[in-house]
Amino acid sequence: MFNWFTPKRETWLFRVNPALKFIVFFAFLIITLVNQSLSFAISQAILYGILFYVFSGYSLKKLSLLSIPLAISFLSTGLTMLLFGKGEAVIWQWGLFKISEESIQHALLLGSKSLSFGFVGFTFILTIQPVLFFYAMMQQFRLPSKYAYSFIAAFRLIPAVTEELQIRRNALKVRNIQFSKGFRGFYERLQSYTVPLFAQSIRRAQRIAVAMEAKQYQMGAARTYYYPTRYTGIDMVFLLVMICSLSSAFFLSIYR
Amino acid sequence: MKKLKFTDLLITIMIGVVFGVLMKFWDDLYTVVKPIMPVARQLLYGMWFMVGPFAFLLLRKPGTALIASIAGASLSAFAGHGIEVLMYGLAQGLAAELLFAAFRYKRYSILIAGLAGIASCLASFGLDLVYGYAALETWALIVKYGLRAISAFIFTGIFAVLIVRALEATGVTSLIRPVDKKEYTMLDQ
Repeated sequence: MFNWFTPKRETWLFRVNPALKFIVFFAFLIITLVNQSLSFAISQAILYGILFYVFSGYSLKKLSLLSIPLAISFLSTGLTMLLFGKGEAVIWQWGLFKISEESIQHALLLGSKSLSFGFVGFTFILTIQPVLFFYAMMQQFRLPSKYAYSFIAAFRLIPAVTEELQIRRNALKVRNIQFSKGFRGFYERLQSYTVPLFAQSIRRAQRIAVAMEAKQYQMGAARTYYYPTRYTGIDMVFLLVMICSLSSAFFLSIYR
Repeated sequence: MKKLKFTDLLITIMIGVVFGVLMKFWDDLYTVVKPIMPVARQLLYGMWFMVGPFAFLLLRKPGTALIASIAGASLSAFAGHGIEVLMYGLAQGLAAELLFAAFRYKRYSILIAGLAGIASCLASFGLDLVYGYAALETWALIVKYGLRAISAFIFTGIFAVLIVRALEATGVTSLIRPVDKKEYTMLDQ
């Protein structure tokens, strides 16, 4: 599973400080979210698409595999808006379904937004190492170490949680558990999975916390780091390139 | 009010992570309910608001709803739901947190937990509005978000409280919550 995330080549994006990259990409997401202009949304989607397809450093096969969910989300967000969206200039109507010029515009806007989100998100996830990201958050952005280490520890337990979930699922299957219909059934399902899972995870988390404190992990104490992260020249380049390309996408969409 | 200890923090984040994993698998249920999709989909949506209120009901300390919500969202983001869920997690967690804060973190009833879910629902509606999802016909809007709010109340209020009670019965909560004064006085008798 984790092997899957080894890139074909390490592009310059890999050498950017992960915390800085996160802040910049998160700002991109917020810009994408609040933007209401269709042409800017499309030019943003193209810009982030270039980031994803050219600079993530993964093979075309993997990139196209990852594009499938992106295409689905583009279609699904767009289609609902296309069929049920508000609009005066009706082009086609059949029962509750109604396509109008406005709803086409809106569908395209939504679709481009969801594409942008997908491209930015994947580019970020494909080009960072999670542990280094948290180290950089502590060192460059002063995130208290208790949060960073809790996140790292909890993320390390994901495989255990997934395995437990599978075991529980099989156990319920073997015992041929039948759930009721309707909401009651959902509750039964939820309860039969969550209660053992949470009980186990809480115990485990508590034991880890006790062990860490026993090994002199202190909240709020000044500390040194095994992996030092810092800003380098490439960060400056990254910032400049990102600001320039976003603003050129903006101006291109205005003065087309 | 009690501050978060390291144990509390780790457990809170762990809850977020477990919910993240569960939400990944919860998608399977969507396929089960496919024939009645649009309505059932919204009625199951409440699961996505559960994590913050659930963590608060369990730990009963300030900050837990927000932190668990962010943790759950960041796991979902890494698990392929897309990084925009981080924004939703942040907004939903913050809304639930503010609601609990409004009651000075002293109320843990079904009603308050359910209201926290509805607050999360409102926050996600606000984000949807900015995103552009909300440019639907008015009837579609009311049906969609009405069902979602009902589902939020059921999941974060009723289901979360019931599951926390079931967990209390397992005895695992004694690891988290400080011992009551009542229990000390019982020792004296």
